Amino acid sequence: MNKYPIFPTFLVIVFVWLCYLSCNQPEENKNTSQKKLHGNAYGETAEFFPSDSVVSKLPFVQAQIETINKILKEPIPIRLFQDSTDNMLKIAQEIALKDPRFLQSVKSPEGKPFRNEIFGVFPARESDYGNRQIGEICKNGGCYRVEMYNYAKNLTTVALVNIPAQQTLSVYNLPYSQPDIPNYLKEIAIKIAIESPEVAKALGGKPIPGAAIMADTKTALNRSRCERSMHLCVSPTFIKGEKALWTIVDLTDFRLVGLRWTFVGDAGPAPAITEKKVQNEMLTECFCKQQTPLDQNGWKMNYMLTSSDGLRISEVTYKGKPVIQSAKLVDWHVSYSNTDGFGYSDAIGCPFFSTAAVVAVEPPKILDLWEGDKKVGFVLSQNFFSEGWPQPCNYNYQQKFEFYDNGRFRVAVASLGRGCGNDGTYRPVTRIAFAGNNLAFHEWSGTDWTKWEKEQYALQKSGTPYTKEGYQYKIGNEGNAFYIEPGKGQFNDGGRGDNAYTYVTVNHLDKDEGESDLVTIGPCCNTDYKQGPEKFIEPNPESLNNVGLVMWYVSQIKNDDTKGKEYCWAESYIKNGTYSTRTYPCFSGPMFIPVHSKQ
Amino acid sequence: MKNSVFVAVLFIILSLTLSGCEKKEKDVRYTGSKAFQDCKAQPPFVQSIGFDLNRSAFSTSEKKSKGLSFIQFPSSPTANDSKLYQHPSWKQFGWLGPMAIDEKGNIYLAPIPVVNVLDNPFKKQVEIYKVNAQTGEMSLYYRLPVEKEPHERNPYGILGLVYDCETSILIATSVSGSERDTVSGGIYSISTKGTPALLDKLEQVDAMGVGVNYLNEEKRIFWGDVRNGDILSVEFTKEGKFEGNPRKECTLADLGQRGDDKPRKIRFNKDGDMVVMGVEFNFNLIAPTEKQETPYSFRYDIFERKWSFIADKSFL
Repeated sequence: MNKYPIFPTFLVIVFVWLCYLSCNQPEENKNTSQKKLHGNAYGETAEFFPSDSVVSKLPFVQAQIETINKILKEPIPIRLFQDSTDNMLKIAQEIALKDPRFLQSVKSPEGKPFRNEIFGVFPARESDYGNRQIGEICKNGGCYRVEMYNYAKNLTTVALVNIPAQQTLSVYNLPYSQPDIPNYLKEIAIKIAIESPEVAKALGGKPIPGAAIMADTKTALNRSRCERSMHLCVSPTFIKGEKALWTIVDLTDFRLVGLRWTFVGDAGPAPAITEKKVQNEMLTECFCKQQTPLDQNGWKMNYMLTSSDGLRISEVTYKGKPVIQSAKLVDWHVSYSNTDGFGYSDAIGCPFFSTAAVVAVEPPKILDLWEGDKKVGFVLSQNFFSEGWPQPCNYNYQQKFEFYDNGRFRVAVASLGRGCGNDGTYRPVTRIAFAGNNLAFHEWSGTDWTKWEKEQYALQKSGTPYTKEGYQYKIGNEGNAFYIEPGKGQFNDGGRGDNAYTYVTVNHLDKDEGESDLVTIGPCCNTDYKQGPEKFIEPNPESLNNVGLVMWYVSQIKNDDTKGKEYCWAESYIKNGTYSTRTYPCFSGPMFIPVHSKQ
Repeated sequence: MKNSVFVAVLFIILSLTLSGCEKKEKDVRYTGSKAFQDCKAQPPFVQSIGFDLNRSAFSTSEKKSKGLSFIQFPSSPTANDSKLYQHPSWKQFGWLGPMAIDEKGNIYLAPIPVVNVLDNPFKKQVEIYKVNAQTGEMSLYYRLPVEKEPHERNPYGILGLVYDCETSILIATSVSGSERDTVSGGIYSISTKGTPALLDKLEQVDAMGVGVNYLNEEKRIFWGDVRNGDILSVEFTKEGKFEGNPRKECTLADLGQRGDDKPRKIRFNKDGDMVVMGVEFNFNLIAPTEKQETPYSFRYDIFERKWSFIADKSFL
């Protein structure tokens, strides 16, 4: 049958070109930033800016925050509509505010104030009446529609009031919907865009206020969304030549969420540029389709997001010496003890075209690594979210690779909750393929190092012997070896011990045993060593003499929601009238210490 | 006398003609979209299960029950009399998704991975299974002749099924082998008379939901594009061939709570309105606990010759 193109060819070319530009930056900017995204224009602009971002410190934003905090202390925490001096609109608003139905959602069930605001008051139209009875009352005029937005619940409440009768005729809620915003918020949205350095950088200079179009038109305001944060977002758009720069501005947090160039064409309205689209496209183009090199503090490596094995590092060297061939997080097995056989086997990875059940929505981060007040290295970290997190049965996982200036490194992972219950056990499956072809693996017997002759596994338990330094294993060869120190709660990151299975398998050069992307290798709910890596051992374990080695590390962590003891857990709380999340991560993972290093 | 006979005959002819026109007008209604008659029959084997058949249905979306299930719903919101039945053969092909039932009660099903691919290996995602209406036994029925198999960057194969009662043709949509920059999916027309046989294939289409309807008295296949949320259609002949070029009918883009829903299921109600079930779909395995699905309704305007969005029912 006929074939037909899904995109005009030129659009594909333009998109690829934009992506190329966005994922590449001048060489001098690479690998120099700390606490900043590694990389590229998309990355920088799609980042969730922290509360101490440049824009949030500006006086016009601070003034808004002060006003909000003041209103939150009032008995009825609602910012009133102030766009008009029309007295009738004010009266209509006051009538609505007296109706308990209209005020039903302005506070939490515990009485904590939500951030609420009346966005608009309008003379009612026939289509607002809803039924004949109200139509009869309103046919002589005097009826108004009052629209209120609840930032915390992303909820619109609409009241229809009749001024002559001083009565609210009807009230209804529209979940997950946002009314047209008032003029002052339009101005703030444009100002946030204009004042954001990322916008100025993209445009080649700070735009002038009049250059932002569309922010004051209904069409444009309805044409952006923050689907993941569920915040109020709009898109001031700047035209430059034949291109338009869409800026996504979050009016709940007063910050820039992302940027995206489009071509101004005459092919009708383009699909809306939204938070999720920008995040997914940026991650896919910059981190899922290509590796990113990193060169820092003597460490060199490549990293990228995989389809189902999380963030993968590869070709890792320290001061020129090969250390790791590749390391990644293959699976998360989550089982719930109260329901036999109930749980999930989650893969993590790219947001588009992947076998991931929990996906990356933000780019990888490179952060300083501190011990006390001393900077000792850097961390490469990546989070993976379910969109409903931290609601029950949604997940947030974190991977972090710690690289120390003295050659140590740690491969750590954490669940940030919340999962489907307080009886969950998380079993992350980490795979670390070491560099080199002539490696040996030893286990501390209590008195000496015992060499593993064949592929096998061992469990870290209460009676496990450690060296006086706390090491359980040793891997490498004479020229390049590492002690392995499993988590026992000693790493000052909240971890309480790993109770880990460690497997060692041959790193085959002639067959793929997990070096390429691995789909889910084990079921959710096995409570023994059968977590997947054993498939590469049984039924005939191979010799470990004079071969390359792969170490698999499966920690076993029970979650806890007991007050004061929360672990692998997350909970929502109300802060400044909107929901924030408190997390209790359960980090696990071994530290690798060079055998000849002085710590 | 002759005149009166002539007038009477003329009256009868005119009456018949007018009534015929009126009947035709009623059939196609004023929208130009004619509801397609569903012919699905209850499979005879369910009679022996012992369920109350007035409140029972087949399901492939039970969270703790892999494969096909036959569910008896509770008799009241507080009643504790719901039941679940599974024939021993219904779990063997992993998690299942789309389903179509023919006029004899045979059930056609396709697999769909849920959360992971442990029970749904890539190569099996382009298979269609059939539950025998008499015995309830499920077995492999047909394997789509796809050019590219599902893989780790796109674990999906068949995403939609619909049965055309008039021709006994099963239509399947597939996204097998597609990549972010390459469309490899297709729509397959399969004869169910005797041994299943491929009648035609619409190539380079990544489709999910699929439906059949008459539009301006032309039988057309409608499908949802999983990349952009568009609903397209193409003429469908009595011989099971796709005729002419596909055309865009309407879109889910920017509609609803999420704004980027993709059409999972397309059906037409008795008025000819198109009802599209929209879900999030990004070629990954995210599986929200709460099923986020929104029904969107479109009505055809015969004068404008286009579909107009009527409403989404997410708030109702």
